[in-house]
Amino acid sequence: MEATSAMVASRKTQETEADPDHPVLEIRHAKKRFATPEGQEVVALDDVSITVARNEFLTLLGPSGCGKTTLLRVVSGFEDLDGGEILIDRQDIARQPAYRRPVNTVFQTYALFPHLSVARNVAYSLEVARVDPAEIRRRVGEMLELVGLAGFGDRRINQLSGGQQQRVALARALVARPKILLLDEPLSALDKGLRDKMQQELKALQHELGISFVFVTHDQEEALTMSDRVAVLGHGKLQQIGRPQELYRAPRNVFVARFVGESNLFPATVTQSDPAGIALRLSDGQEVRLPASTGNVLMVGAKVRLMARPEDARPATGKNNAGGLRFQGRIKQVFFVGAHYKILVHTQAHGTLKASLPAGEDLGSTPAPGQAVELHFPPATLHVLLDEEAGR
Amino acid sequence: MMVRGTLKWRQAIALLGLLGGPTLFLGVFFLGPLVIMLIYSWLEPGLYGGVVWNFYHLNYGRIFGWANTRYEQFDPAYLRIFARSIWLALCTVGLSLAICYPAAFWISRQPEWRKNLFIFLITLPFFVSLIVRLFAWVLLLRPTGFINQALMGLGIVDQPLEMIFTGFAVVLGMVYIFIPFMFLPVYASVEKLDMAMVEASFDLGAGRWQTFRRVILPMTLPGVIGGSIIVFIPSLGNFIVPSLLGGAKVMMIGNLIEQQFLSARNWPFGAALSMVVMATVLVLLLVYVRQMTREDRAVAAAPEPTGDMR
Ligand SMILES: Nc1ncnc2c1ncn2[C@@H]1O[C@H](COP(=O)(O)OP(=O)(O)O)[C@@H](O)[C@H]1O
Ligand SMILES: [Mg+2]
Repeated sequence: MEATSAMVASRKTQETEADPDHPVLEIRHAKKRFATPEGQEVVALDDVSITVARNEFLTLLGPSGCGKTTLLRVVSGFEDLDGGEILIDRQDIARQPAYRRPVNTVFQTYALFPHLSVARNVAYSLEVARVDPAEIRRRVGEMLELVGLAGFGDRRINQLSGGQQQRVALARALVARPKILLLDEPLSALDKGLRDKMQQELKALQHELGISFVFVTHDQEEALTMSDRVAVLGHGKLQQIGRPQELYRAPRNVFVARFVGESNLFPATVTQSDPAGIALRLSDGQEVRLPASTGNVLMVGAKVRLMARPEDARPATGKNNAGGLRFQGRIKQVFFVGAHYKILVHTQAHGTLKASLPAGEDLGSTPAPGQAVELHFPPATLHVLLDEEAGR
Repeated sequence: MMVRGTLKWRQAIALLGLLGGPTLFLGVFFLGPLVIMLIYSWLEPGLYGGVVWNFYHLNYGRIFGWANTRYEQFDPAYLRIFARSIWLALCTVGLSLAICYPAAFWISRQPEWRKNLFIFLITLPFFVSLIVRLFAWVLLLRPTGFINQALMGLGIVDQPLEMIFTGFAVVLGMVYIFIPFMFLPVYASVEKLDMAMVEASFDLGAGRWQTFRRVILPMTLPGVIGGSIIVFIPSLGNFIVPSLLGGAKVMMIGNLIEQQFLSARNWPFGAALSMVVMATVLVLLLVYVRQMTREDRAVAAAPEPTGDMR
């Protein structure tokens, strides 16, 4: 523990020397295209701009193939940008080869050296930098202890489990105290229990070391749990960046709404728009009034989507009729998930809706397939989405 | 217990059936002659060929420095030929490695169809008789050969270069015939090298040279060593290449052995020379195997996981 605090302390002094306020990593208008073997062109990064603050845990979230790995590889120096720039501590690093960049990576496949012991793997960056052997031994020991692998130094990589290999990869990437640690889906190969545990431990480790983490995942739950901020990527574009709560509560477009959490989306038309608020009409004819949201000036007649999260659904009663949306339908399926029921409700006008009802609440009866229900979404829980996704 | 016992028996019988044939074959046609050679090398040569069944250590004496001074002498020429053979074999290994190692990297990066094409091309010479291929080199290298004619025609040299009947020609010929033997094992280990390892090394701050020394070379070393052994052994004992391209001037141990068996009709001495070659190769292999097993054993077992990060 002392060793770690010393390490943190030494980083703290480094930080005060530099300007602590500027972002440690700035990606500006990054563009990257690939030619596929079939002669087509894939736009892997399309004008992506992201900044990462000092000591921040930033997650890149997006479906497979959206450019997450490409973004990391551009930062670590394994791919060149076709346009835009990357700054680390305000320095453009475009011309720096990968081995000069103050960035280390935990690879998706770990990429541990099979011909070296665990300790030599962890020591690699220090040996290359010709650090004094006694110092290397000390720091490797410290690092192995930090990731819970004290006493494993002499093992071969192939004598370790997947979870242990993952920790070695982490120790190896952190031992030289990079300014930024890049992690490419490091937890995707682990089973659920181990993954949950590693999520907590990674977060704690990041906090303890004070190194900025850029963490890649396609698992939205993982992204929401671990991150200070999340950047959602889709089709090579930055769809939205913000704190997990912002992303969940106020997704900027349909792509984010669909990808982060579960949602019901209703096409709607603006029928009235004034400083006090807007009115929208759904395809089934029901109208809803919402308070004006900041920034968005909506024209009457504009087509939008209205988002309602499943957990905001309530059984309609006489009391909560004021405003909001109401849907009548029949329960198709019920899943009991402990704290609540997840139900799928079939409606005439909108197809299947998702709702999540607290298990304790009085629903009249236990929800069962075939029952008629009426769901209510209060106005404050509704969110207006303008576009399908960024740039479309 | 019973079941396991019979299972073991069945496995043993199956194993015998599978390996019995080859074992018998090797026993009769490899170990047999080897034992005969070993015995002959300790027998006295007869005056007009053949052997006299007396224990006789002077065959080895002629090579290493003691001899029966009545009819034959210790001649350092034998050791010199032996040393030259080792040197030429090492040159062959070095040169073919210098060609195959970079080529393997280059080919391993090519698209699939081109990889296969190159591997096919490299093994293509196998389809042509060895003698024909070596005579082609004779035609190329001799004073009136193609290369000298071309060089003189272009005015680069004004008299033929002495290329044939030199150590250079022998090494060239051996490199030429043994390149596939070097290439295939080297390529197999280069192809297996995961580019992610190289990237990880760069990522951790190692430049090109450090990455080569610390990651690429150690990870491809099994192929390099395997190829080197496979090329070294037949190079050391080779007699076709030196007899065609080395002539009387560049004799190798293989030519000497051939001479003893065929023209000098001194089988015991030829056998003794063969045993020395064999012993050299065996010692080399033993050192290699010892080295490999030591590396494996160096990795000691460590205590069990605690499994928590702090
Ligand atoms: N070296 C490459 N050559 C061609 N296409 C590539 C290359 N690397 C990535 N791509 C393409 O770029 C897109 C983004 O890939 P990637 O960044 O790996 O996605 P992710 O990590 O989010 O799954 C994909 O369509 C992928 O096929
Ligand atoms: Mg990826």
